[in-house]
Amino acid sequence: MSNTTSDDSLITTEVQADSNDDSAAPAAGTAVAARNLNVYYGDEQAIDDVTMEIPEERVTALIGPSGCGKSTFLRCINRMNDMIEICRVEGDVEFGGKNVYDADVDPVALRRKIGMVFQKPNPFPKSIRDNVAYGLKIQGFDGDIDERVEESLKGAALWDEVKDQLDSSGLELSGGQQQRLCIARAIAPDPEVILMDEPTSALDPVAASKIEDLIDDLAEEYTVIIVTHNMQQAARISDRTAVFLTGGELVEYDDTAKIFEDPEAQRVEDYITGKFG
Amino acid sequence: MATDNANANGFGEVSRVRGIVFEYLSLGASVFGLVALGVLLVYVAIDAFDLANASPEWLLTYFLTLVVPFLAFCLYSASDPTVTRRALGALGGGLVAVAALFTAIEALVVPIPRLNWQLAYLFVVAAPVTAYLAYVGSGGRVGAVGFGLLGRLVGGAAVGLAVGTLFLVFDPLLWFLAYTLGVLPAVGLYAFGRRRSTPRARTAAAPVGLGGLVAAVFLREVIPTYPSDLIIYLWTVAVPVAVAGALLVADRRGRVAAAAVGGVPLAAATAGGFLAPGAGLPSPTVLLVLVSIGVPTAVYVSRVVDAGEGLAGLGLPLLLAAGAVLGALIVGALGFPAPDPWLDGSFLTAAPSRTPSDAGLYPAIVGSVIIIALVAVLSFALGVGTSVFLEEYTPGTGPLGTLTRILQVNIANLAAVPSVVYGLLGLGLFANLLGLGIGTAVTAALTLSLLILPITIISAQEAIRSVPDDLRRGSDAMGATRWQTTKNVVLPEAMPGILTGTILALGRAIGETAPLIMIGAATTVFRAPDSLFSRFSAMPMQIYTWAGFPQADFRYGVVAAGVITLLLILVGMNGTAILLRNRAERGS
Ligand SMILES: Nc1ncnc2c1ncn2[C@@H]1O[C@H](COP(=O)(O)OP(=O)(O)O)[C@@H](O)[C@H]1O
Ligand SMILES: [Mg+2]
Repeated sequence: MSNTTSDDSLITTEVQADSNDDSAAPAAGTAVAARNLNVYYGDEQAIDDVTMEIPEERVTALIGPSGCGKSTFLRCINRMNDMIEICRVEGDVEFGGKNVYDADVDPVALRRKIGMVFQKPNPFPKSIRDNVAYGLKIQGFDGDIDERVEESLKGAALWDEVKDQLDSSGLELSGGQQQRLCIARAIAPDPEVILMDEPTSALDPVAASKIEDLIDDLAEEYTVIIVTHNMQQAARISDRTAVFLTGGELVEYDDTAKIFEDPEAQRVEDYITGKFG
Repeated sequence: MATDNANANGFGEVSRVRGIVFEYLSLGASVFGLVALGVLLVYVAIDAFDLANASPEWLLTYFLTLVVPFLAFCLYSASDPTVTRRALGALGGGLVAVAALFTAIEALVVPIPRLNWQLAYLFVVAAPVTAYLAYVGSGGRVGAVGFGLLGRLVGGAAVGLAVGTLFLVFDPLLWFLAYTLGVLPAVGLYAFGRRRSTPRARTAAAPVGLGGLVAAVFLREVIPTYPSDLIIYLWTVAVPVAVAGALLVADRRGRVAAAAVGGVPLAAATAGGFLAPGAGLPSPTVLLVLVSIGVPTAVYVSRVVDAGEGLAGLGLPLLLAAGAVLGALIVGALGFPAPDPWLDGSFLTAAPSRTPSDAGLYPAIVGSVIIIALVAVLSFALGVGTSVFLEEYTPGTGPLGTLTRILQVNIANLAAVPSVVYGLLGLGLFANLLGLGIGTAVTAALTLSLLILPITIISAQEAIRSVPDDLRRGSDAMGATRWQTTKNVVLPEAMPGILTGTILALGRAIGETAPLIMIGAATTVFRAPDSLFSRFSAMPMQIYTWAGFPQADFRYGVVAAGVITLLLILVGMNGTAILLRNRAERGS
C-alpha cells in the first residue's frame, strides 16, 4: 500500500471497524492457542516466539507485510509445514486442548478436523460434486453424500449457481466460484476450524466481496483464521486481528477495532497507516 | 539491416532471412522423410495386395462402387460447397496431371517398376483426397455418427479377436473359477455398497475378491468337470459385457431400451456361437467377436437415436458393405482379371510354409499379441509404480534421497542401453536363472518389459511431475493420506501423459527383434503358442526369416503382407491406447 492512499484507507477501515464492535465482544472458548512458537526454515527463523489464543467461532485476521510468517503460522496449525523438509517447529500449538506437535498426534487425522483454503483457487480436476464430496470420500463418510454436497454448496453460497451442473468440471467455474467451491470442499467434512491464506488476493473485487460476506456467515459455525494483506478486508470481516512484522514477530494482537483505531505499538500504527510494508 | 534504413521508411526492417532459411530447411527435411516413407509403404502395399496385377477395369469397378460412394458420404456430411468443389477439382485435375506426368516420365526418363498411372493416381491423389474428406466429413454430425459406428464395428471385432487370442494362452477354466468366485462377488458387493451407501460392503469387496481368486487357483485342479468353453465365455464375458451395456443405457432410456441393447447382441452372439461349428469356425471366438461388436454398437446406436441427430450416418457401414458386394458381383460377372493378394484371410489364419502361396502368419500374430498384452500390463504397472514411488514417496534429502538420485541417473542411462544387451540380460536372468525357459513367451514378455521400462518410468515421472503442487496440497490439507492423494488426484491428472509414454514405448517393443533372437525365440513356429511357456515366434522375427528365403515370392509378396499386417496391428493397438488416453483426458 502506498503512502498517498493510506490515509483514506485508514478512515474507511475505522468506519468499518466500528460496525464490528458488537460481535467482537465477549470471546467464547479458545479454539487454537500457540505457546512460545518458533519456526525455522533451515537456519532462517520465520516465526519468533509467538504466543496467542484464537477464540472459537470468531474471525481472526493475521496481517503483516509479506514474508513476515503469516502463512507459516497458519500452516503450523494443521501441520502442513510437515511437508516442507527443511522446516522445524519448536513450541506448542494447542487445538482441542491437545498440542498438535505431540508425538501421538497423527497429522492426517488432525487435518480432517481443520479445513484450509488457499490463495489460488485449487479445485480438483473433477466434477463439482466430486470436489465437494472429496473429504467425505477419503474419510469413509457413510451418510448421504448428495445431501452433504448440497448443504456445503449452500454454506458456500454457491448452490444456486451450480445446482444444475453438479456433474460438470469444477475447472469450468469462474475464479470466484472456484474459490467458493474450495470453501465448500473445506466445510463439507464439517471441520472445527477453517484456515484461509489470502483467499481473495487472486480474485476481482466483486468476487472478493462475495467471499468476504461468506466468511461472515461461516463464523457463526466455524472458527475462521484468515491471512490477508488487505487491511480494509481485515477490518471489515474480522473480530480479532494479529499484526505480524518482519522476522515473524507477533507485535500486537487485540480486538480488530482496537488495532485499527488505537494500536499500542508505534510500529503497528506505522504499518496500518501505510508508512511501511 | 535494422539500422541501415531506419529513417528511410518509418520503422525500417528487421532481417528474417535466417528464420526463413531454417523454416524451409526443416520443412524440406520432414517432407523428404515422409515422402520416402510414403513411397516405401506404397510399394509394400502394392506387393502385399498384388495390385500390380490388378486390371484397370478391376480398379475402376471398386473405385466406383466403394470409393466414390464413400467420398459422396463425406461430402454430404460436410455439406460445404467449397469443399465439394475443391475435392472434385483435385480428383479431376489430379487425374490429368498424374496421367500426363507418369506417361512423360515413363517415355522420357525411366520406366517406373510395378506401377501404372492408375495405381499412381490411386495412391497420390485418391488416397490423400479420401483421407482429407474423411477428416472433413467426420466434422459433420452425419459423418461423426458414421465413423463412430464404423469404429465400434472394427474396434469391437479387434478387441474380440484379441481377447480370443489371449484365451489361447490363459487357462479359460481358471478364469471361469476366478470370475465366478472372485470377480463377480467382489463387483456385486461393491455395487451393492454404492447403491445402498453401505461402506462396509464396499470395503469388503476387495478381500472377498482376493479370497475368491485364491480359492480359484486351489480349486482348479480339484474340480473334475467343467462346462464347455462356449458356456464359460458366455457366462464370464458375454453376459457381463451385455449387462454393462444395458446399465449404460438404462439411466437415460429406461428398461425396455436397456433390455434390447443388452439382450439383442447377446442373443445374436449366443446363436452365432452355437452355429459357428457348422460353418467350420471356432465357436468361442465367434461368440467373443459378436458380443464385443454387438454391445458397443447397440449402445452407440441407442445413444444416436436418442440424440436424434445425424441418423443418416448409421447407414455408412451398410453403404460400404453394399459397395464391396456390388463390386465383387460386377467383377465376377464381367470376368475382370483380379489381383491375387498375398495378404488375405488364409495368410492371417495359416501357419508358415515352405511354399509362398501357403505361407501364413497366424502363429506369429498370436505370439506377438500375447507378448504385447503382457508387456503392456507389466510395463504399465511397474512403470507407474516406480515413478509414483520416485516422485511422491521418496524425500529429497537424507540417505533415501541420495539413493533416489542414484536410481534416477541409472534409469536415465538404462534407457540408452542397446536392446541386444537387454536380450542377453533376459537370457541370463529369466531364461536361465529363473528357469522360465529359452524362447518362451513369458521370457520374451519380461525381457521386452524390462527393455521399455526406463522409457515408461521416465515419461510417467514427467507426467506426474507436471501435476501442479497446488492440487497435492489441496488434497493433503483435506486430510488425505499420501496414498489417497496419489490415487485420487495425482494419478488421474497424470494418466493421459503416462498413457502417451506407454504407447510410444509399446510401439518400440512390438517391433523389436534383436532381444528376441538373444533369448532364443524361434524364427518360425508352426503352431500358435498355447501356454505362456510354449515356444513362440513374433511377427518381426517371422518377417525377417522370410526376407532371407531364396524364392522371390517370399521376399516380395509374403514379406510385404507381413509388414502390412504388423503395421495394421500396431496402428490398431495405438489407436485403442489413444482412445483410452483421450477418454482419460476428457474424464478429468
Ligand atoms: N517453503 C519454504 N522454504 C524456505 N523458506 C520459506 C518457505 N516458506 C516460507 N519461507 C520463508 O519464511 C518466511 C515467512 O514466509 P511466509 O510465511 O510465506 O510469509 P507471509 O505469508 O507472511 O508472506 C519468509 O522469509 C520466507 O522466505
Ligand atoms: Mg503468505
